[in-house]
Formats: sequence, structure tokens, C-alpha cells
Amino acid sequence: MPSIEVSNLTKRFGNLTAVDNLSFKIKEGEVFGFLGPNGAGKTTTIRILATLMSPTEGSAVVGGYDILKEPLKVRETVGILTENPSLYERLSAYENLDFFAEAYGIESRKERQKKIQELLEFFGLWERRSEKVGNFSKGMKQKLSIARALVHEPPIIFLDEPTAGLDPAAAKEIRDLIEMMSHKEKRTILLCTHHLEDAQRLADRVLIINKGRNVALGTPEELEDRVGGTPQVEISLSAANKKIVAAVKSVKNVVKVSAAAGRLIISLKNPKSTTPEVVSAVVKAGGKILSVNPLRPSLEDAYMKLMGEKNENS
Amino acid sequence: MRIHKVMIVFRKDWREIRRNWQVIMPVVVIPIIFAIFLPVVLGSGFNTSSASGQHTNMTAFTKGLQPSVSQEIDGLPDNQAVSYIMLLYFFAPFILIIPLMASSVISSDSFAGEKERKTTEALLATPLTDSELFLAKVLVAFIPAIIATVVSFIMYSVVVDAMFFPALGRLVLPNLNWVLLVFLLAPALALIGIGISVIVSSRVKGFREAQQISGVLVLPVLLLLFAQMSGVLFLGPFVITLLALVFFAIDAVIFRFGIKIFNREELLSKLG
Repeated sequence: MPSIEVSNLTKRFGNLTAVDNLSFKIKEGEVFGFLGPNGAGKTTTIRILATLMSPTEGSAVVGGYDILKEPLKVRETVGILTENPSLYERLSAYENLDFFAEAYGIESRKERQKKIQELLEFFGLWERRSEKVGNFSKGMKQKLSIARALVHEPPIIFLDEPTAGLDPAAAKEIRDLIEMMSHKEKRTILLCTHHLEDAQRLADRVLIINKGRNVALGTPEELEDRVGGTPQVEISLSAANKKIVAAVKSVKNVVKVSAAAGRLIISLKNPKSTTPEVVSAVVKAGGKILSVNPLRPSLEDAYMKLMGEKNENS
Repeated sequence: MRIHKVMIVFRKDWREIRRNWQVIMPVVVIPIIFAIFLPVVLGSGFNTSSASGQHTNMTAFTKGLQPSVSQEIDGLPDNQAVSYIMLLYFFAPFILIIPLMASSVISSDSFAGEKERKTTEALLATPLTDSELFLAKVLVAFIPAIIATVVSFIMYSVVVDAMFFPALGRLVLPNLNWVLLVFLLAPALALIGIGISVIVSSRVKGFREAQQISGVLVLPVLLLLFAQMSGVLFLGPFVITLLALVFFAIDAVIFRFGIKIFNREELLSKLG
């Protein structure tokens, strides 16, 4: 059973259609990347799934609960990192987490204390637990907001720009945490991000939306392949010569070879079977190989191209 | 509705309020003004006017009041009799303004403050029902308001008794009228004001807008004050109880309406 199932979700604000007939399913333990430019409808979709807004049309089931029929159960099942830190600045870090832990149903004070200590220690905030959040830096607030989303150990987590405002080391910690929660703890994560490298590294599948509509859905590799054209392989050699180039050109399925400064860029069909044959041909021609790299378009290339196509069509 | 869930939000809000002097100030200052400043100024004012040889027409003063009031002031010199009537009868409706004024900042801040500080989304994402959130916001304004009213009443009683005990040889406060005013009518009226303020607060963009609209709520109480002073209405035990029952009925309607129109989406759409 999918962890989240969205069917024909539509949200209109007057004449503006923020979410337009969106459908997708997210499996348990999956990291689902949600990409799109500002105003694409990502936050509105998350708000609908978190039962903060009702859809104009369509429906969704989150953690087995219908968002329209059992909103309270949905909210218990979900942890949400909102666009804004949404923290009480006059309360301390500990008091903030304690309030949300209790509001989410952790009634035992001991249990709350244990969970809060664990989270604050993980985010390096335990020593500053009694300080008012108003004195915290942007990065510290972001970490505390993530801790708030996790405090009741929800099986489904919505993260809206989790690495925004974090320094590279802290951003890496968050990425590691997301990987751990998805792979080890089998939690389902809906990751809304502008950082394409985050989506590339973390997301099992990516949904690109624009103006509320589905632009593309697939694994990062599938999306890359969709825009990539003929696959390419790059071979670095200690020295390239005409004999090696000729040997590579003679391999079946090789479409084009270009050589420059000890580097061969080879366009080929069926890279999985053709690449070993190319390597063999190079070695036989006396080439000394330093490295072999498949050249793929990045998710960023795919994103830019898909968004461009969509804008041209609309 | 789960009361322990209501209390979770109540405790959180109360922690925040305690640390915000702008919100807590009216709760502390208004009782002091009412309970100490008002009787002392009134008392000394009438003593001075009498000392300067002016005479007060007691019949005009007592005409709207019950005949028993004349017996109460028997034995008091005119200047003190005037103070007595002013402090025990004419200004009695003032005690009804205390909970409204003391709570107006807290109730206006309830949802509008969450919006201004951008904490609404996380609060609304918690598994708390609309009625639990609404009631928590009402309680967090209501409880300090009632504490302020009771403390005012205690201080006022001490000051007034200190003024009249030497002449009358008895304590004049607390009496039944005032007890009913403080413990029955004031809470009933406070709930109307707070209920309306919380509804307004949930539907406007910011605190200032909420407070401007809620400020109007004191006006009906001033009508009671003038009605009592002009003799149109005498706030005796029967009238107080009757008014309280009417107000509690209005409270019930406001609460039902408030919860019915409470809308998470509306709260989010009003985020600045």
C-alpha cells in the first residue's frame, strides 16, 4: 500500500489554479523529491496533504487516512518542516519542542525529555536548550524546526527546503539524516527543494511541477535519460593517438569519437554493453587508461530542459 | 473536546505571555488604577469639596437607588455619604470593565500574534481540533482577566473598608451585589468580549487591527455604568443574576459560532 496517494488534486484561489489535477503515489520509505520554481504549487500541495488546507477537487490518502475524512489522524501521522521556522521565539529550544511533543500526543514527561535530549544533542543544540529561540541564528532555528518535525517520530515527513539557511557542514548532516530516516527507519519523506543536488542525491523519485501541473515524474536517472540524447563516455589516457581513435571508431555501436589532450569523448549506443568493448579496444591499441566516466546530464540539466519545454508548450 | 489538549496550548501561551511585558502590563496596571487610584481620588475629592463649604444634594444622589441605600449611609457626614454611594453603587459597573481591559491585549494577540510571529502553520499542523485551539485561546485571556478582577476586588474592598470603617464601625465590602458582580456577571461579560476578540483575531492580519476592533467592546459596559448613575437601572442581586444568565446564553452562541467559523485555511491565507 502506498504511503501517500494523491488523486487529481486541484486547488484554486479565485481565478488562480495553484494545484492543477495532480496525481502521484509515494511508497513507504521512499524519498520523494518535489521540484519546481517559486509559485509552482509545492507548498500548497504540502499544506493540503498536511490538512492545513482543503482541496477544491480531488483527494489524497496519507498514511492510510483520507485527508478530508480523518484530518486529525493525518496530522498525527505527519511531521512537517514549514517554509518559515514557525518557532516560539520567547520560549526556549527545550520549551518549544516540549510543547510540540505534547501537542502531538507524547504524554509522558520522561518520554518527551528523552526524545528532546536525543534530538537536541543530534543537532548540537543541547547546550543551548534553555536559551530563548529569539537569540538563535537562522541555521540553529532551521535545525530546531527540523527537530520539531521529528519530535513525535512520525512515519511520514514533509520537509520544505530543509537545507535552506544551513552552512555546508550542517546541510550535509541534514542530508545524512534524511538518508538514514528513509533507508534505516523506512520513513516516507516528501522533500520540497530548490537544491537540485539535494534531490539528485536523496530522492528515489522526483516530481517536477510548474503552475500546479505535473511536468515530469521519475527517478533522477530516468529524468536525466529523457533529456540526455545519445549517451557519452569519457576516457582519460596518458596519451591519445590516431591508432587508438581508429580502434575505438571500429567498435560496433560507437557513433562518434572526439579526442583532445589525452581525453576521448565517445558517443555510443547501449553504453552498458558497448563501454567494456571500447575499453578493450583502447587497451589493445596500446592506450594507457587513467579513468573511464559515463557522461550523463545532471538532474539540473534535466530540470532546466523539462521546464523550458513546458514553458514553450504552455 | 479534550481538556488536557486545551491546557497544553494554554500553558504554552501563558509562558509566552509572562515574558511579554506589553501583554502583561494591562493585567497588572488596570487593577492598581481601579482598586487604589480610583477610590483614593474620589474619596479625597469629595472630602475637599465638603471642606470648601459646598453642600451636596443627597436626594438627587440617591434617587435612582433603592430606599435601603439611604439607611446604609445613615450616620455618615454628607461628603462621606457621597463617596460611599459613588464607590459602592455608581462605579460598581467599573469592575466589569476590568476583565475586558485586562484581557483585550491577550485576546487580540491570540491568533493575530501567532500570524505576526509566523507560528500559525506549525500550530495548525498539530493534531489539535478547532474547538481545542479556540477554547485554549479564550482561556489564556480569560483566566488572567478573572484573576485581575478578583485581585482588584480584594484591593478595592480593603481600600473602601479602610475609608468607611472608622465612621460606620463595620465592613461595607464584600457585599452580595459586589460578589455577584465579580464572580457571576464579570466572567459572563468577559467571555463575550474575549470570545469576540479571539474570533476577530483569527480573521484579521495583525494584532493592531484586532485590538482596534476589540476596543469597541468596552462601550456596552459604559452604557451599564451610565444607566446605573442616571437611575435607569439598579444593579441589584436580581438584575445582576438576570443579566449574567443572558450573557452566559450569549457566550454559548458566540462559542458555537466561533468554533463553526474557525477556519485553518483562512488563518493561513491571512499570513503576512
